[in-house]
Amino acid sequence: MKTILGMLITLSIIGVASGGGLALVSSWADPLIAANKKAATELAIFQVQTQAKDYKPVETVSYECYRVFDASGNAVGYALPWEGNGFQGKIRMMIGITADLSTLTAIEVLEQVETPGLGTKVTEDPFRSQFADLTAEPQVDWVKGAPPTRENQVETITGATISSKAIVAIVNDGLQHLRKDLAEGGAQ
Amino acid sequence: MELILIFFSAAIVNNFVLAYFLGICPFIGVSNKLSSAFPMGMATTFVMVLTAIVTWLIYHLVLVPYHVEYLEYVSFILVVASLVQFVEMFIKKVSQPLYRALGIFLPLITTNCAILGLALFIVLKEYSFVEAIFYGVGAGAGFTLAISIMAGIREELELANVPKAFQGAPITLIVAGLLALAFMGFAGMISV
Amino acid sequence: MKKQVTLFTEFTKGLWDQNPVFKQVLGMCPTLAVTVSAMNGIAMALATTFVLTFSSLIISLIRKLIPTQVRIASYIVIIATFVTIVDLVMRAQFPELSKELGPYIPLIVVNCLILGRQEAFASKNTPIRAVLDALGMGAGFLIALASLGAIREILGSRTLLGVQILPDAFEPWLVMILPAGAFLTLGLMMGFLNFMVLRKKTREEQELLSRHLQEPKMSLAKGQEA
Repeated sequence: MKTILGMLITLSIIGVASGGGLALVSSWADPLIAANKKAATELAIFQVQTQAKDYKPVETVSYECYRVFDASGNAVGYALPWEGNGFQGKIRMMIGITADLSTLTAIEVLEQVETPGLGTKVTEDPFRSQFADLTAEPQVDWVKGAPPTRENQVETITGATISSKAIVAIVNDGLQHLRKDLAEGGAQ
Repeated sequence: MELILIFFSAAIVNNFVLAYFLGICPFIGVSNKLSSAFPMGMATTFVMVLTAIVTWLIYHLVLVPYHVEYLEYVSFILVVASLVQFVEMFIKKVSQPLYRALGIFLPLITTNCAILGLALFIVLKEYSFVEAIFYGVGAGAGFTLAISIMAGIREELELANVPKAFQGAPITLIVAGLLALAFMGFAGMISV
Repeated sequence: MKKQVTLFTEFTKGLWDQNPVFKQVLGMCPTLAVTVSAMNGIAMALATTFVLTFSSLIISLIRKLIPTQVRIASYIVIIATFVTIVDLVMRAQFPELSKELGPYIPLIVVNCLILGRQEAFASKNTPIRAVLDALGMGAGFLIALASLGAIREILGSRTLLGVQILPDAFEPWLVMILPAGAFLTLGLMMGFLNFMVLRKKTREEQELLSRHLQEPKMSLAKGQEA
């Protein structure tokens, strides 16, 4: 009986001390972690919308999406974080598009687990820069093994075709949702 | 369909041992005989599924509603440790032969990173309850597969003339490397 | 303890004689998973050392108060607490690094190295010895992870700590960054180290043998002189 009591008391003391300590550390760390997260999102927004000086979350859609403004306060477009399946796992990216949803401004891959050296090339130029000022209507298209002939086409990377196609598919999927929801919810 | 994909993804494409390096300790320690590797795999699978269920419930019913996510690691590891203890007692009561087969492996499972890793990945991937269970079964199957293949190879290695310096852990790691390369062939087959 | 080990040895034994990775084959998950670059390896080793040192200190301080039946449970709660602290601090102060190491930081909880040291050492020794032992083991872990990370980074992406050191003409060995590369590199490293140790041992044995063979002759010679 005495040993059981001793066990219980020891474990409770350790548990309380641990919980209390963690509550303290976490109350210090939480705001900083939130700030880091915000800074990362902000950085990604300004990377895909180079003219942007300010941004506001779009409240009419159920997911994360930002409307961005230039220095004089005009809405220049949207920044949309979107994710989808790549070759080996989730790819998370930020898509930048003009206000009329017709032309991409840029894309930025935020998280991916593609094959190093092959699939990871989708995060780098020259593949990434193909999306700058790319026509996204009716949707983005890809060609394999030849330079793009139309304005809405990108060329896939040799050895990383699946990853390249995945990026295109995520962009199209995100834009499709955004178009539909903005049309329904009243874009302006 | 999605559930089957989750299962195969965890079992083969993103194999816990060969792609995430989880559960390496028992992988190297117990994988010298097929007769002990397979029961070890089964015991681990069993604990994994239970862990997936219990940690999912704790995370979504206790930690999130009360905003104490910072207790995640402490509570998860306690869950794993007590589950293992519980399973051990349960098996001892219910089936003596099973206890003799699995008993000695159970304490090893507590410090198997694959179990805690599973619980953490389920939170990270934001799986639903049913998805979490399938993920647990898949991860367990993958672990059993990897450790059994490894044991099969090591039984053959006994007969091979391995240089003295490479006997034991080094040759096991090299074989695991070749296995990991082989499993890479599955990449891209399924992606979840 | 019959033979009192000096405090200095308590620290240095972890560096080589009982190196956690190369000799004891402990803590393999983080060793293999995060060593794609030297920086990641160093960060991981430092985080592990922090957890190991503080857990050892606390556990050795309260070692007489914990009933034996609940000692493992107490150890893992204490370890998990320090791991959460490391995780929160890293997410707050080094978000980039924390993203790279991802779920492998929380997995320090189940690093067999840490629980192993508590059970085998900290629970039986004074705080100062426990801390020295933890620091030594941590340093040994650092040596292993940094060297493995450096080899994989140099061959896999031509850089060391982010600075390019191999010319562009060198085609990077992609396999080094892949999981397979981790297994292969560590296996070869351990084999090579074993080989060196074995060779040293045989050489010492031979020396000893030849000395023994020479000794009788010398005494014979001495005897003749006398």
